[in-house]
Amino acid sequence: MRKIIFLVTVFFFITGLLSTSEIWAQKEKGKPKLLRLTFYYPVGVAGPLARVIGEMTDKFNKEHEGRIEVVPVYSGDYDPTMQKVQTAIMAGNPPDIFMVEISELPTLLAMDSVLSLDDYVKKLGKEYWDDFFPPFRENAVIGGKVYGIPFQRSTPVLYWNKEVFKAAGLDPEKPPKTWNELKDYATKLTVRDAKSGDVKQWGVTISGGWNDWLFEAFVRQNGSFLISADGLTANFDSKESIEALDFWVELKHRLKVGPPHSTWGSTPPDFVGGRTALLYHSTGILTFLKRSAKFDFGVTFMPQKKTFGAAVGGANLMIAKKIPKERQEAAWKYIEWMSNVKNTAEWSAASGYVAVRQSAYDDPVMKEHVSKNPEYLVARDQLKFAHGKMMAKNFQKVREILKRQLDDSAAGKIVPAEALKIAQKEIQAVIK
Amino acid sequence: MRTQRLTSYSYLLLGLFFMGVFTFIPVFLSAYLSLFRWNVSSPEPAFTWFSNYLEVFKAPLFWLVLRNNFIYAFTTIPVSMCLALFLAILVNQKMGTIKSFYRVSLFYPTMIPMVAAAMLWVWIFNPGLGIFNYYLGFLGVPRIEWLYDMRYALIAIIIMSIWKNFGYYMLIFLAGLQSIPNHYYEAAAIEGAGGWKKFRYITLPMLAPATLFVFVVAIISSFQVFDQVFIMTQGGPGDRTNVLVFYIYQHAFRFWDLGMGSTLTTLFILGLLFAIWLVFRVIGRKVYYEV
Repeated sequence: MRKIIFLVTVFFFITGLLSTSEIWAQKEKGKPKLLRLTFYYPVGVAGPLARVIGEMTDKFNKEHEGRIEVVPVYSGDYDPTMQKVQTAIMAGNPPDIFMVEISELPTLLAMDSVLSLDDYVKKLGKEYWDDFFPPFRENAVIGGKVYGIPFQRSTPVLYWNKEVFKAAGLDPEKPPKTWNELKDYATKLTVRDAKSGDVKQWGVTISGGWNDWLFEAFVRQNGSFLISADGLTANFDSKESIEALDFWVELKHRLKVGPPHSTWGSTPPDFVGGRTALLYHSTGILTFLKRSAKFDFGVTFMPQKKTFGAAVGGANLMIAKKIPKERQEAAWKYIEWMSNVKNTAEWSAASGYVAVRQSAYDDPVMKEHVSKNPEYLVARDQLKFAHGKMMAKNFQKVREILKRQLDDSAAGKIVPAEALKIAQKEIQAVIK
Repeated sequence: MRTQRLTSYSYLLLGLFFMGVFTFIPVFLSAYLSLFRWNVSSPEPAFTWFSNYLEVFKAPLFWLVLRNNFIYAFTTIPVSMCLALFLAILVNQKMGTIKSFYRVSLFYPTMIPMVAAAMLWVWIFNPGLGIFNYYLGFLGVPRIEWLYDMRYALIAIIIMSIWKNFGYYMLIFLAGLQSIPNHYYEAAAIEGAGGWKKFRYITLPMLAPATLFVFVVAIISSFQVFDQVFIMTQGGPGDRTNVLVFYIYQHAFRFWDLGMGSTLTTLFILGLLFAIWLVFRVIGRKVYYEV
């Protein structure tokens, strides 16, 4: 009997504790206004970028002491970040500010969870919004309304190892400029073991993991697109897309001058380790390569077919819709501050991401940075040929469907025309 | 008598409370939610009877995932169990102080966290820099792309999982071996039984309860495989290492298709319960417990 009494006491003790913490929380609310905002952000590439975000945010918090405090929460890679943001939204407790992969915008809109920033942007006038590079702006706008501010943005580029170029008798200062040259160079740069035929050095590695993003670049280079700008019509089985995939199959399967599959994280070390001569990857790994590679390497535009081309990538800053107005206002102050010319320049110099605002390249910090490291300008210059990234509702499903077909094609399990026909049918069904 | 029963129930209450909140309610809730269409395209749940189930069975990918998982189960379970039994018998021999060293080193993979082990094996399997290919090279095996090759990726996951899991099974077998009274062996020796006969007629039957336990645990863990897939391959290349729990995770937390995720979860639980019921029905009755 005594035990029952004991258990009952414990039970009431615990519930009592819970209710007092409730009261505490209310007291906190009653205090003079300190708005504590949560900010979920991903880091899509290797490097101590979480520290940089922390330092920048500290500076902001000091400037707004007693009024606004932003708490940055590192939420992993792009995919886990989206998951955490979505979970929080579903639970009715969204982070005030978040940064998710740009193609997720239609999904977030379908969940009615992103605030339109139109009024804020308009207030700052044309010289604010028009200063962002046009292709970066594309993924921030749907139906004429602005929903995100570009911040952590990139494009894929081509890296080449100058030393192995020399060894293969190629001019180390002349990277391939066209698909045909790429094929030719990759063949010359592939080194096989004389006896076993094992590949010791691949000619070209088109990284897996985000191969859907790289594939979109190839389709752009061939003058076509994968999903219409409104996100409603799939266009995966166009003649141009089939040609692009067939080119991949030629490199990866028929000529065997590139690995058919790989992961996003494994290929930069492969390049550093001399396992591949050419590498397609994000401009975001440039800082990592510069620190790790013991050889001279170059960065250049991805080779062209009909034109140079790329789909931009990365993440935009957004504000949750279902939070009180005063929190939205405070969140905007943070975003406005983070996206000012000086901070975008600082962020770019620290991370290797492209500075999102054109005038950031006139900033003294940036000027010094790029005069020392001109390779950081390649991705910016490639923006002239870049487009917005495909985006649509259910984008995670779109990616899985496309990647499956890309992987199967590269292994020679299915011919490109058929693979893309399947992708077209399945993707159209999930985005409409 | 009454108060005694009351006391024991009150002890169970707390456990039941946590089981209820974190196990039973979610299980029944997901069974209920599996009847709804609830995803990005239909943010408000809509009741659709069993259409989710039909959709699961219609998807070719589901069957590929099921096939992958069965291949994984049918290879990891027998191999890791045989290996565990063999090594348990081996380290149970009299061999002095070196014994504990062996036991610890065999049990070591079980002690490190799965995520850390998976990260490690990503590098071990790296085609160019990894030691796995390096050692295979001495045996004249040509270079294999392991995790990046559709034909080998699942095999790589299987190898890694066997390495990770057999130590735990070995420990259970070892405990079972040590509880076998020595006089059985002495009696058998007097009757002139050799090593194999002792193993076949004493060790194996006496180990039956331990074996049954290991078998059930192995079945459950082979269908719960997730961490290593998540870290090492993300189900790729081309879904060749996609397994049931990863598939559920994709639907529930990547695609945010909660209806579909609930449906798959419900099917998963029913399937697992059926498998374990079958094991107890077919094998469980033959197991002899020494009281």
